[in-house]
This record gives sequence, C-alpha cells and structure tokens, in this order.
Amino acid sequence: MAHSHGKGTPSLEAAKPIVRFSHATFAYSNRIALEDITLDLMEGEFVGIIGPNASGKTTFLKGILGLLFPIQGTLQIFDCACEALRCHHRARIGYLPQKEMIDPHYPITVWEVAMMGRYGAIGLFRRPDKADREIVLESLQAVGMDTLKDSSFGNLSGGQQQRVLIARALAQRPEILLLDEPTTGIDATTQHHLIELVQRLHRDYHLTILFVTHDINIISPFVDSLLLLKTKLYGKGPPHEILTQETLSHVYGKEIILAERDKRPYVIINDTHHVG
Amino acid sequence: MFEMFTYGFMQRAFLASFLIGLACSVIGVFVVLKGLSFIGAGTSHAAFAGVALAFLIGAPPLLMAILFGLSTVWVTGFLQRKGKMKPDVSIGIFYTVTMALAILFIGLMKVYNPEVYGYLFGSILSVTSFDLKVILLLSLAILATIFLFFKEFHFISFDQEMAEASGIPARNLSFLLLNLISLTIVISLKAVGAILVFALLLIPAAAAEQWATNMRSMLIYSVLIGVFSSWTGVMLSYWFDLPSGSTIVLLAAFIFFLAVLTSPKRRRAKPGPKETPAL
Repeated sequence: MAHSHGKGTPSLEAAKPIVRFSHATFAYSNRIALEDITLDLMEGEFVGIIGPNASGKTTFLKGILGLLFPIQGTLQIFDCACEALRCHHRARIGYLPQKEMIDPHYPITVWEVAMMGRYGAIGLFRRPDKADREIVLESLQAVGMDTLKDSSFGNLSGGQQQRVLIARALAQRPEILLLDEPTTGIDATTQHHLIELVQRLHRDYHLTILFVTHDINIISPFVDSLLLLKTKLYGKGPPHEILTQETLSHVYGKEIILAERDKRPYVIINDTHHVG
Repeated sequence: MFEMFTYGFMQRAFLASFLIGLACSVIGVFVVLKGLSFIGAGTSHAAFAGVALAFLIGAPPLLMAILFGLSTVWVTGFLQRKGKMKPDVSIGIFYTVTMALAILFIGLMKVYNPEVYGYLFGSILSVTSFDLKVILLLSLAILATIFLFFKEFHFISFDQEMAEASGIPARNLSFLLLNLISLTIVISLKAVGAILVFALLLIPAAAAEQWATNMRSMLIYSVLIGVFSSWTGVMLSYWFDLPSGSTIVLLAAFIFFLAVLTSPKRRRAKPGPKETPAL
C-alpha cells in the first residue's frame, strides 16, 4: 500500500472531494460515452485514468471542463454543478488536450503560447501586466522551457511542445490539471521525463492531477489511484487493487497478461485488433 | 504625375482603398490562421445577391449587401451550433444558392444595369462620398472590435477548444469574428468586386505568414502588403486604365509568390527530410 502514495502527497484521508460524479451519464447524439459514473476525486490526488480506445476517457475530462453536461445524474466541480461552470471556474482547471497536428508554420512564440494561459484570468478588454508576465516566466521555468521563450513554437520537438502547453496550463494557476494522452507520439525517454515533470508539479503546486493514458505501465508507479473506464466505471483505487487479473479482465477481456517487473505489476495487453 | 490627387474621385479612391486594404489585411490574419476561407467565399457571393436584389427593387445596395452577408453567417452559425450541419456543407449550399439568386435577380431586371456589374468586378474609382462614409464607419468599427478582443481572437485562432476550456467565451467570440469577416467583405464589395474581394482577405495575410515568426510581425507584414497593393493598384488602374479590383489582387498575388520564394520557413524545411514525420 505504501508505495502507491507519492512522497509529498498530503494525506488523502483529510482531503475534501474536488470533483463528484453522481450517477452521471454522458452521450454524444444518441451514443452513450459514459454511463452511470459515481465517484469522488479528492483534492491533491494524482489519478491515472486508463481504459481501451473509445472507453470514455476524454469524455470524462470534457465533463469536468464543463464542455459536456450529463444527460442523467450530476457532476459537481468545486461545489458547483458542471452546467453552472462559469469562465472563472474553468480558469481554475488546466487542460492539455490530446495532441493534434499543430501547423508548424503557425507564427507564434513559446512565450505567446504560455501567455494564453493568463487570458482567462485577465478577462476581456485588458492586457497582460507585470504580474501576468512573472507568472508566465515562472511557469516556463517550472517546465524548463524559459530559455527557449522567444523560439517559434512550431520549431520545437513534440516533447518540448508538450512542456510549453503544460506551462500554458500552469500559467492559469490551476487547482486541477487534466492531461489527455500527453505521452502519445513521443519517444520513451521523453515520455519518462514528462511524467517525472508532472509528478514534480503535483508535489510542488499541490495540484489535483488527472492523467489519461492507454499505457498502464508507464503511469501506475506514479499515481495515488487508477481509474478504470470502459463506458462504465470498473474500479477506482490504488494501483495494486486495480491491477489484478480479475479487475482488468472486465475491461480488456482475456487478452491480458499480468506479469511483474521490478516488483511492480506489469500489464501486457494482447491487442490483436491493432496489429500493424 | 500628381494631378490625380486633385480629383475628388481619386482622393476617395485612395482613402477607400487604404481603409479596405487595412481592414482586409488585419482580419485576413485570422481568416488564414483559423482556416475560415470558406466563410469568406460564401459571404461575398451572398452579399452580391443582396446587391442584385437591391437594384431590382430599388433598395440601398449596401444595406442589402450587409443583410445578405450577415445572414449567411447567422444561418451557418445556427446550423453548426445545433449540430445539424457542418459549416462547409451549409456554406457550399449558401454560396451556390445565393449566386443563383443573384443571376435570377439580374435576369428579372427589365434594362441592362452596368452598376450591378461594378459590384461583381469592382470599380474603386466610382466610390461615392456616401460609400466612403459607410466604408470609414464600418472599417473603424471592425478594427476597434479586433483591437478590443485581440488576445481572445489570437487564442481561438491557435486552439478554439483550449481557449474554451481555459475560460474564454470562445464560441461567442468565434461567431463575432465571422460577423466581422462578413462586414469586411461587404465594405470591400464595390471597390474590389464580389469575385475578387476574397483574394484581398486571404492573400496579404497568407504572404505575411511566410515571413512571420509571431502574431505581431504577421499583422504588420499583412497590413503593409494589403495597403501597398491597394494603393499601387489604384495608381496603376488610373494610369493604364486597368480594372482596379484585378490590378490590386494581381499585385498582392505577385507579392505572395515573392514571399513563398523568400520564406525562411520554406528554406528551413528543405534540407531537413529527417525531421518530416513518417506518414
């Protein structure tokens, strides 16, 4: 049990829930994406959200962002129904969307991207001031991108772009940080550095972190709890409770092999649908 | 050589082309970055149908152009918001239907009306002082709105979803931007013509993107190219008796090709096949 709690994590027993799903169901025009979800996410918790493709992981984040409302049940964020989430609430949630193709010729510098994180807090009709510039610089320093602040965003590597986008989210001074598949499309070493960065931010800024990934092994050593989704919620708990043959087989079927590496569970998903 | 500035119509042409070049090149930056080309093409033809109807029933052409141009944006926005139709489909239908309407309205006219064709092909030398007042008023309103919401427009052009998620009223602002694009097209209609107005929106900004490394430099380059080609186009069309709209657009296009040839972005892209991701 002890290994599942990060060093700097405040004791979760004393923490308050920051996000509460209660029998919440989400749908896109007639297709149900998430069904009957009931769970609490605690302040300061580092949660890994896992599940196969199209299992509702991104929908889960969009609900928390207030971009999608439940068709049944309720979802509360900061004691506020997600339907009533206003712009100033959203600014308290940092979000790194799933990576899309960013036009490499888009004329924007690293600094400009990170500054966009302040725009919600600055509000309409006003310009960034000295305090905003300090926050942006600090956010870029936190991800180690301050030395490249005048570089063109399009010229950076995939891993560097992810760092800048995380700095953008940090510049919002968020309480919750949502990361949607941040490790996709970057090499293994960069992936590892990125997760270590997220772990450090979790510790230094006392952030609640929701980390969506399809790669169970890469995230499980770092999180307080794992959340297993496949349209329904199949379990939430410390990794050693979730990473069992029985629990995982509900979601991944018989295609799963549970091994051990460095005294940790290691999951091999024999996903025959994705050969090639 | 400078006697042209003593004519009232030339003074109006220079002022009008300055305002149009400015408004088009500023708003064009967002059209290019946000990928809104289709809305520009759709609006200009709808606005022309408005002009044709105005001449048929004897209404003020500019007013009808505004009405038709904005309603294109509203209907498209409504259909998209309701999730009923993708904007490229609804614009595609609007585009052709309004063009059919324009041809129908012209066909219904009892007599040949050369003024209608002025709106189709553009004639900046025929801008009246009333036209100029409307152009002045609307272009200042457009530029002021962009100035007020500049950082938000910048954000939604970079990533609309991220902007919305971080507390920017992205959907409403995106809709406002479409309305501004539509108005810019309407005020440029008489000077550049319905067929070519869209080029003035797209080409200066697209050329600027070739050289720019950040938003500010893209705006500055775009405005310089837009105003330069508008003014030079007006002078050339006066000296050589050329159609103003096509002269302006061809000049801007010439600058665009120069920009592509000299772009530091293209140079950098060439020697690095290693960096291009595998398909």
